[in-house]
Amino acid sequence: MASGSGSGSGSGSERWSEGLETEAAMAMETTDVELLKRAWRNEKAAPEILQFEAALVLRAREQIQLLEETLEEFTENGVDDLVVSLYQMDLDRTLFLLRSYLRIRLQKIEKYMIHISKTNLWNRLSEQEQRFAKRCTDIMEKHLEQSVLSRLPYGYQSILKQSISSEEDDMVPEPQLDTFVFCKTKSAVGAFQLDDTGDEIVDLVADDLYVLRYKSIKGLVEGGRIDLV
Amino acid sequence: MAFSDLSHLWHRQTNKKWIYLIMYGRRASQLLRELACSETGQLTTFNSDAFDQVIKECNEHNLQLQSLIRKIEDENLDIQTTRNEDHFGAVIHHLSLIRNKHCLMAYMYNRAETIQSLRWKVGPVLPQEIQEKLNYSEEEYFKNHSAAIESYMSELDLDLTVDMVPPKDPYIRVRVLDDIGEVCLGDHSISLTKHSLHFLRRTDAEPFISQGIMEEFLE
Repeated sequence: MASGSGSGSGSGSERWSEGLETEAAMAMETTDVELLKRAWRNEKAAPEILQFEAALVLRAREQIQLLEETLEEFTENGVDDLVVSLYQMDLDRTLFLLRSYLRIRLQKIEKYMIHISKTNLWNRLSEQEQRFAKRCTDIMEKHLEQSVLSRLPYGYQSILKQSISSEEDDMVPEPQLDTFVFCKTKSAVGAFQLDDTGDEIVDLVADDLYVLRYKSIKGLVEGGRIDLV
Repeated sequence: MAFSDLSHLWHRQTNKKWIYLIMYGRRASQLLRELACSETGQLTTFNSDAFDQVIKECNEHNLQLQSLIRKIEDENLDIQTTRNEDHFGAVIHHLSLIRNKHCLMAYMYNRAETIQSLRWKVGPVLPQEIQEKLNYSEEEYFKNHSAAIESYMSELDLDLTVDMVPPKDPYIRVRVLDDIGEVCLGDHSISLTKHSLHFLRRTDAEPFISQGIMEEFLE
């Protein structure tokens, strides 16, 4: 975990240790369920697919299994129904978060499979998701091939290009990155430049709500410095 | 290729030429209007007549385009620099073809997206009335795509098609809409006859609800 935050900021040992401290503080404050909820919320609000939280998903699944075993024990030992149903509710909520998280990701893959497989977004997918994306792309290509592309004249049969004369792939659906998102700062980010030219600068203070273009805060989301809501 | 040069030049042309494009692309745009008019998530019957006609139009554009290019070549003019009426005619056919391709692809692609969403909403087997609206390739697409989702879920050993809405209560009251018969839920079996009311675990009830043979019973 420490190495993750170190490579993220990558400038000076001071910031590195600062990152370590906040991460340690965060780890104490938040449970895995909270972390999963955050990952789920970010994934839900971000227009493009985010890094797969492999370790977190693994831990969440372990805890779900533990809860399931506990529940089984409870029913065997005849523990009070109310207690059982409270545990059950807790389990259901965690399961929902996990399923919904994985589902949102699959749906993003379904939507932007070709774009994802052509860019470095590919590395954000889990192994299973990569297999899913590969298969989906093949299926979609076959479908479009046999119903449209193979029936068009030579030179216009590419799935990626409008015609043979296009120099780049100009027919691939891509997520809209300049859409607006609601986001909440965890700690003060300070003066933040919203565009390339530096005309728009906003002071991001701790624990405040903003509506900004996803494109401009993309880096902050990926670095875990800001949460989408 | 000659085309790139043609389309590049297009941007300097007058708006007048668009009139031809609109006329040429009309049928294809009707396909898209059909999509736009239907509610999101709803499918209309695959419009194979209009679809085939647009495909035919594309091939006609191509024939015209090729013959214009041949004409320029026969006149021993340089295809890269010639700017006569044949050149602009070819540009129009090229762009009309691209426009038609866009519309056809958008039509298929948007329908495919709706078909994907059916796997999540309806389940692995489509009811007859939806099945009828798909063309052959789309039926195949749905089957293959569902299989891809299923193999992902079995790799994970987790069913993602349940729990579509955040759980409020782990148990819900449901009414059975069709005779389902004896079903094994958890460690006991239960007889789900038509019109009967049950108090079930939400996760057990959801598959039946999404199939439309059970509904949440709200007082």
